[in-house]
Amino acid sequence: MLEALHLTKRYASLPAAQDVCFTLRPGQVLGCLGPNGSGKSTTVKMLTGLLEPTRGEVLFNGQNIRDNLSAYRKRLGYVPEEAHLYPYLTGWEYLELIGTLRGMPRPELENKIDSLLSLFSLQAHRHAGVGSYSKGMRQRILLIAALMDNPDIFIFDEPLSGLDVTSALIFKNLVQVLGQQGKLVFYCSHVLEVVEKVCSDVLILRKGVVIAQDSVANIGQILGQSLENTFLHLVDDVDTVSVARDIQSVISAA
Amino acid sequence: MNFPLATSITHRWESFRQRPFARLVRLFAARIFHGGGDDDSEGLDLSIGLVLTLLALPGGFVSVLLFEKYGSLLQWMRGVADFNPLAAALPDEYFFMVLSMVVTGAVAVWRWDSIFPDRRDYFNLVPLPIPTRSIFFANLIAMLYLVALLAIDVNAASSVLFPLVVCASQEHIAFFVRFAAVHATCVLTASIFTFFAVFSLLGFSMAVLPNSVFKTLSPYLRALLVIFFVALLCTSFALPNFLQRLPATPPWWTRLLPSTWFLGLGQVLRGEASPALAALGAFALPALASVIVIASGVYGLSYRRYFTRVPEMTEIAASRGSSRQSFFVSLFDRVVLRTPMQRGCFHFVWKTLLRSESHRLILSAVAGLGLVLACQALMSAFASHSAAAKVAVSADALSVPFILAFCIIVGLRLGFEMPVEMRSNWIFRLLLDEENHECEAMACRVMLVSILPWVFLVVLPVYAYAGGFLPGILHAALVAAWSVLLINAILLRFRKLPFTCSFPPFRQHSIVTLLAGVMAFFLFAVVTPEIESSALANPIWMAVFIPIAAVAWYIPHRIRRETMDHERILIFEEAPTRAVEVLQLGD
Repeated sequence: MLEALHLTKRYASLPAAQDVCFTLRPGQVLGCLGPNGSGKSTTVKMLTGLLEPTRGEVLFNGQNIRDNLSAYRKRLGYVPEEAHLYPYLTGWEYLELIGTLRGMPRPELENKIDSLLSLFSLQAHRHAGVGSYSKGMRQRILLIAALMDNPDIFIFDEPLSGLDVTSALIFKNLVQVLGQQGKLVFYCSHVLEVVEKVCSDVLILRKGVVIAQDSVANIGQILGQSLENTFLHLVDDVDTVSVARDIQSVISAA
Repeated sequence: MNFPLATSITHRWESFRQRPFARLVRLFAARIFHGGGDDDSEGLDLSIGLVLTLLALPGGFVSVLLFEKYGSLLQWMRGVADFNPLAAALPDEYFFMVLSMVVTGAVAVWRWDSIFPDRRDYFNLVPLPIPTRSIFFANLIAMLYLVALLAIDVNAASSVLFPLVVCASQEHIAFFVRFAAVHATCVLTASIFTFFAVFSLLGFSMAVLPNSVFKTLSPYLRALLVIFFVALLCTSFALPNFLQRLPATPPWWTRLLPSTWFLGLGQVLRGEASPALAALGAFALPALASVIVIASGVYGLSYRRYFTRVPEMTEIAASRGSSRQSFFVSLFDRVVLRTPMQRGCFHFVWKTLLRSESHRLILSAVAGLGLVLACQALMSAFASHSAAAKVAVSADALSVPFILAFCIIVGLRLGFEMPVEMRSNWIFRLLLDEENHECEAMACRVMLVSILPWVFLVVLPVYAYAGGFLPGILHAALVAAWSVLLINAILLRFRKLPFTCSFPPFRQHSIVTLLAGVMAFFLFAVVTPEIESSALANPIWMAVFIPIAAVAWYIPHRIRRETMDHERILIFEEAPTRAVEVLQLGD
């Protein structure tokens, strides 16, 4: 079980996340929603241990992750928001680097890389430099890197970014399968439909504060609306239709 | 006060700056300075002002150092009555010529990838309603602007200060003006020549070779150019004396050195040229015109072959590789690299060293320096002795592997400090244990792997063959042992994974470190071979190195033991030195 207890992060004196609390149980797929600047990335970085909270702690199975970060990270698979990879390494070499650093046995590592590259349709490009990959291909490399050591916790930050329709569908199904297998999945996204379809629970952040947390079904029921309308209701007081009309009128103005 | 003319000019200039073509020129000029490339590389991105200042510094600095040589008071104190500043200035002029060529050439090599519009430019600009010829000419103008700026910037300080220094004791201003004009003409033309020569060479390869072949060859070609520039700089102190003694028909190889052409041109313009220098000077202007013509043709051809065909080129270059580890690599991993961290990071470091453009250039420069110094030592050894056995155990010949080992170790250590794709280091932040990171052990293995194989496979048999079996073994063992000790010392408090940490800030002790490096080179590559050469006459004397080695091992070991825990933690960012340290005694 992964618990975020009163996570607070301040940059200088500006709070990026304030008192964020939630619990992620085995088999649960927790979606994290919020507009730009709501503190999603900060929360993700605190959950991965990349950022130390100003206050609060992250517990994994009752133990503060910072007490033994290496052991925690061995059980963590993380897909960051942006696919920053070493462009001069080939896709195969990059995955080999990750697998080696994770301490995977050599034969298992090679077999898994080959199999996963095939399944993610990257086998033909495995020996090409990552610098020449498209955004979607880089994203698939990141997904393989997160999956291949079979970790217990998955943290996905906009994992569908740049993926084609087929790969996105495969991945959405995979997330559900991971949940059914008892893995812990924390899923950050801007795409409300995907969160609605893939996640069992949802956490909504606004200005660094948790403003709603419940199952997807309950959140919709409470307000009697779809997740999209609920999100807009909770997060932004913006009449999107009227803004769209305003934009159109500005474009068409002489 | 209102100046209508000034306001009108400002308005016209502003409206010109905002025109699409001018905007394109500015875009390309900025891209050349800040870097382009197909990947989102994040190298050393300095501001334009800082780059220009750094490039201008060497010329100014060297000029100021020459005050002592030309000062009339100092000449009088030395008892020199008939001091001829023009004759005395020849070696210095040659040095400035070489400096100007080396700096300009190095910038052209360094910025080559940013000079041509690339894939990113194509997909951003071609869909816009701009004719492609505008892109062609805008990039050309940006490039010419860069050449002019570079030539002026690199030579500005020396063009003013050096003539001032040389003519300080002269009474007539005309002498100064004439000297300064000739000097400025020569260094500027030398700079422009070098830029276009580098451009022609690389551009020609780009235009005639298939794209994939050029991409493979380009780094090696650029490494060769860097080595050539380093060699030119290293020989700039010795060559002028040789040039002054040249016969009327200079040897053929002097005609291959462009730096001598521009020195000759300067002497011809002053009317001071010897027949040999006049002959060499005759090459300068035709060569300059030729490279400009060739570069123009190559630019058009490369643009047509490369830029206009960007969409036809496959984004992913076909490449071969193996998905299985070879037996030897597997064995090496099992025996030498004992932990997953060492295995993963060792291969990452090697791949980065061999594939990262900036690291290859740095290593080429250091290797070039090492090769030049080693060649000089070897030539000196052959000049002093005739018998092969005596040459092999002479201090000069023995110093060759020491010089090379020192340059490789220091070059690698410098390279480790240069970051690559800082944004990609998140994976190491995520996976590496900050407290038990083994970075030092891993870096040590990288250095040893780059030294020990050639010491035992080349140095040992060569010296054993030339100087005898025992001297060969003792020499190889000493080079290996000294390399291990140098690596041990140079990696003291090394707590970063190479290439993943930001650049270290300039610290007050950086100059002391530099001086310590020079001293270390002297001890490592000059003093040690001298002692060894004497000791090899009676090999039992080689035992003298044992206590020296013990001390050299013990001092870093002691410092390491006394290093506090927080100074061992793995870092990914170099923190600037704080003015006030908080002791945190309450923790």
